[in-house]
Amino acid sequence: MEIALIVGTPKGAAVLKSKDGSNWAHDFVLRGWPVTASARDDAGRTYVAVNSPNYGVALFASDDLNAWKQLEAAPRYRPEDRGNPEHHRLVAKEDFGGILKGGGRFVDQIWNLHFAHGALWAGVSEAGLFVSRDRGASWAPIDGFNEQPGRESWAPGFGGLGAHTILSDANNPNRMWVGVSAAGLFRTDDGGKTWAPKNKGVNPAVDSAPATTGQCVHSVTHDPRNASVMFRQEHRGVHKSLDGGDSWQVMEDGLPIAELSDGHHCSFGFASGMDLKSGNVFVVPLDGDNFRFPKGGQLAVYRSGNGTDWEAKTKGLPADCYTAVLRGSLSADQKGGVYFGTASGVIYGSDDLGESWREIASGLPRIMSVEAYSA
Amino acid sequence: MSVRVQLPPLLRPVSGGLRTLEAEGSSIAAVLADIAKKHPPLALHFFDEAGAIRHNIVFLHDGAMIRAKEAAARQLKDGDEVVITNALAGG
Repeated sequence: MEIALIVGTPKGAAVLKSKDGSNWAHDFVLRGWPVTASARDDAGRTYVAVNSPNYGVALFASDDLNAWKQLEAAPRYRPEDRGNPEHHRLVAKEDFGGILKGGGRFVDQIWNLHFAHGALWAGVSEAGLFVSRDRGASWAPIDGFNEQPGRESWAPGFGGLGAHTILSDANNPNRMWVGVSAAGLFRTDDGGKTWAPKNKGVNPAVDSAPATTGQCVHSVTHDPRNASVMFRQEHRGVHKSLDGGDSWQVMEDGLPIAELSDGHHCSFGFASGMDLKSGNVFVVPLDGDNFRFPKGGQLAVYRSGNGTDWEAKTKGLPADCYTAVLRGSLSADQKGGVYFGTASGVIYGSDDLGESWREIASGLPRIMSVEAYSA
Repeated sequence: MSVRVQLPPLLRPVSGGLRTLEAEGSSIAAVLADIAKKHPPLALHFFDEAGAIRHNIVFLHDGAMIRAKEAAARQLKDGDEVVITNALAGG
């Protein structure tokens, strides 16, 4: 069995491959392109998303992780689509030509790629959802999501208004979830025609945020085969749902609690992931939104079987660590291996469900995404 | 009218590794459209959702820096060279 990690950074993608989980072959591909997401289809083709503030958004595909070919199509809004003013304000620093003044809506980043039920899905910024049913040769907007009433007033996170999480139900092709910072989680039960916010019981991003679409979801994880049991790392804490997101409860026993900039106390972080074989969930708490590094400098992954209690796993992780683990940067290979990357360019891996960790790679640029694949 | 166009390093893998391309057109915008026709994957990088030349792309021609919005009006003559680059920040 070969394990492959696709690691997205602002300067390209690291491709790490191992046959035994101990010895890793390193490559660095798509040099110069910011790489933010990857996915693999059911025929074994791997797709990565690249995003340049100058040359736009595109996808590359590879059947062997060695030769990469750019696809001719990519998600794009229509010329007449109108943008979200607050998102424009946040991304205007890279708008040297002033095109945002026209008020249009543009795909400035692919945050997430997700393969499910024979289709490739892309979650983008400015927040939207697109689908390709022909291996990326063409893309269609999901208007039911992209044109939701009220989207013009959604508040972006500091990274912009991004649809960064896509989840699917292996047993129900009509049900999907999309997470947007900072509007919250949305679910469709009719194949994407209509969407409803699923944020009941979730702490709002700030006390003044709208109750239904004011949640700053950072990441969501679940087992697609048992899709209704979900875990969610929020700006304001870790939550669990047993009903597909209809209701949520805070689940933080054992997690480090931080004070946020507004005085709220909760477990802050970005990344989450699940090992489907064991059902274990992993999060990487940070010391609140003021500091955004591990509490006390001890890099720690917290593991839980059902969310009712969490246990710190630090063996092999540094004690003087002042970096972050970003939202897309934790992944499991679904064979027992768990991997994550830091904003300071280090990849750690565990082959014993987090009991011990070892450094797999270092010296990389800021790590924005990690996806693990097993052949 | 034939001109020689130099691609930025980022886009060379998209054109099969070519550093320069020969293209036809009497303006920078026309040349860009000709390249996109011959190398379709490059179209995504040249043109935005509205079909306009991406606003952060800059051209160097005959000692001058030409912004995207000036590309249609910038006339070329046979044998000219155009460098495609982009807006830079920092220092």
